[in-house]
Amino acid sequence: MRKVAVIGVGNSKFGRRTDATYCEIAFEAVKEALEDAGIDQNGIELSVVGSVGNRLYDMYPAPLVNEYVGLASKGPLRVEAACATGSAAVFTAYNAVSSGYVDTAIAIGVEKMSEVDTLTSTAVGGRGCYLWEFHMFGTSFAAYYALFATAHMKRYGTREEQLAKVAVKNHFYAARNPKAHFQSEITLEQALKSRIVCWPLKLYDCCPISDGAAAVILASEEKVKDLNVEDPVWVQAIGFGADTGNHTRREDFTSIKSARAASQIAYKMAKISPNDVEVAEVHDCFTIAEIMAYEDLGFCKKGEGGKLIEEEQTWIGGKIPVNIDGGLKAKGHPLGATGCSMIYELVRQLRNEAGNRQVPLKKYIGLAHNVGMTGQYCYVTILKR
Amino acid sequence: MTEKAEYPTIKSRTLTLTHDIPICKTKTYWEGLKAGKVHAAKCKKCGEIYYPPQADCPKCLSSQIEWIELSEGEIETFTKVSLKPQGFNHYKEDFIIAIAKTPEGAKVMGWLENTDVESIKPGAHIKITAKMMPDGFPTIILKQA
Repeated sequence: MRKVAVIGVGNSKFGRRTDATYCEIAFEAVKEALEDAGIDQNGIELSVVGSVGNRLYDMYPAPLVNEYVGLASKGPLRVEAACATGSAAVFTAYNAVSSGYVDTAIAIGVEKMSEVDTLTSTAVGGRGCYLWEFHMFGTSFAAYYALFATAHMKRYGTREEQLAKVAVKNHFYAARNPKAHFQSEITLEQALKSRIVCWPLKLYDCCPISDGAAAVILASEEKVKDLNVEDPVWVQAIGFGADTGNHTRREDFTSIKSARAASQIAYKMAKISPNDVEVAEVHDCFTIAEIMAYEDLGFCKKGEGGKLIEEEQTWIGGKIPVNIDGGLKAKGHPLGATGCSMIYELVRQLRNEAGNRQVPLKKYIGLAHNVGMTGQYCYVTILKR
Repeated sequence: MTEKAEYPTIKSRTLTLTHDIPICKTKTYWEGLKAGKVHAAKCKKCGEIYYPPQADCPKCLSSQIEWIELSEGEIETFTKVSLKPQGFNHYKEDFIIAIAKTPEGAKVMGWLENTDVESIKPGAHIKITAKMMPDGFPTIILKQA
């Protein structure tokens, strides 16, 4: 395994992008990443496009994305791992560079979700397990995470106010991130009074349906030297986990088992403990997911995630600042883009480029936690500068 | 680009996707639903129980299964669905999706009937039955005793 650095990152504006096609949005992210790395397309050996793509009019988006951004001859595959697709793209690119197969690779995460109506999007999303779940019961991702929320609340006494506080925090930081879908703060009262989507989850417990793209350029240590990149951000570890497709085969509904597995691998690879992490991007597709992430990643004890947000320990200035870009909840969650966008934010933070959202750092260690569906997939990536 | 702005778009051609799903290996299950019963598969060789049912046992790689009926259980978790996805938005009432654990060690998803979501307690005993909806699709009903 060779050392791998992130030498360029780019992120399109997230939101309801009726002004652009998915290829045009991907271009925004790739252009920024190339300019950030100070190279052109000739400097990229492999392109890995991550797109869930099931809300697109194109069924095979990768060649069209690669062609549009000037990488037509570089992309032999598209990867998909539901909501963890962006991390799966980074994982694939990382392994190609780390193994020595190529010296540079780009992971492009892109998703266009808002071109179909909300109920169609909800049905496409809910078809994570069609035959035994959606077909008979009309499951959706809000419903799936609501099953976890109910179980967590009943077992640990987690309260709806604590869920709402995750939304308040993430909207607060999104309002300070020009690339976020939502550009305004919300009050606790607004969150608590919003309409029920899937009890106990309300509208403000749910991420929006967003369009967006993000890109990450990786390079080997040798290439970093060739390019004279000073003080890059290194990929210290990528851990993965996976779990059953059917929810009725899960042991428990208060934790994401694959996230615990992925984080244990990542901490071991990076030779760090949860206490060493100074800034984290976690998969808050629903507010309950952020609370479970705190616990699964070891930022607090099991069952104490609600208390952690209540005590404002995941704001800047707290024990572990989480989702300082607004998170999936308020920055938006264009499925394929999310994992790459987490790396974008962490790299900006680790380079001290996050402006009014900059987390004070000493060890310069960041962590990204990207869950696919309700833990069918999970990747935990640790970066260090 | 501002958040609320709308830009010109064109409509795509319509794509309709409906699948013919094979049930030859799980026919007992689908026929059972029509008769109000919910079946799990049990491997004849190693005894492993599968719910949702599957015709092949990944544990011992045998494809010899028998069917057992699941008729009761205890509620583990639940939600009430207000935002109904496409395919379910013609149902007037919101529905409660619950997962119950059976004495056989299986977990069954179903719609919980005759209850108010705020009053449900995890661990509550339920009977498991099935029915056909007026639109021709089957569903599983969990009912508190």
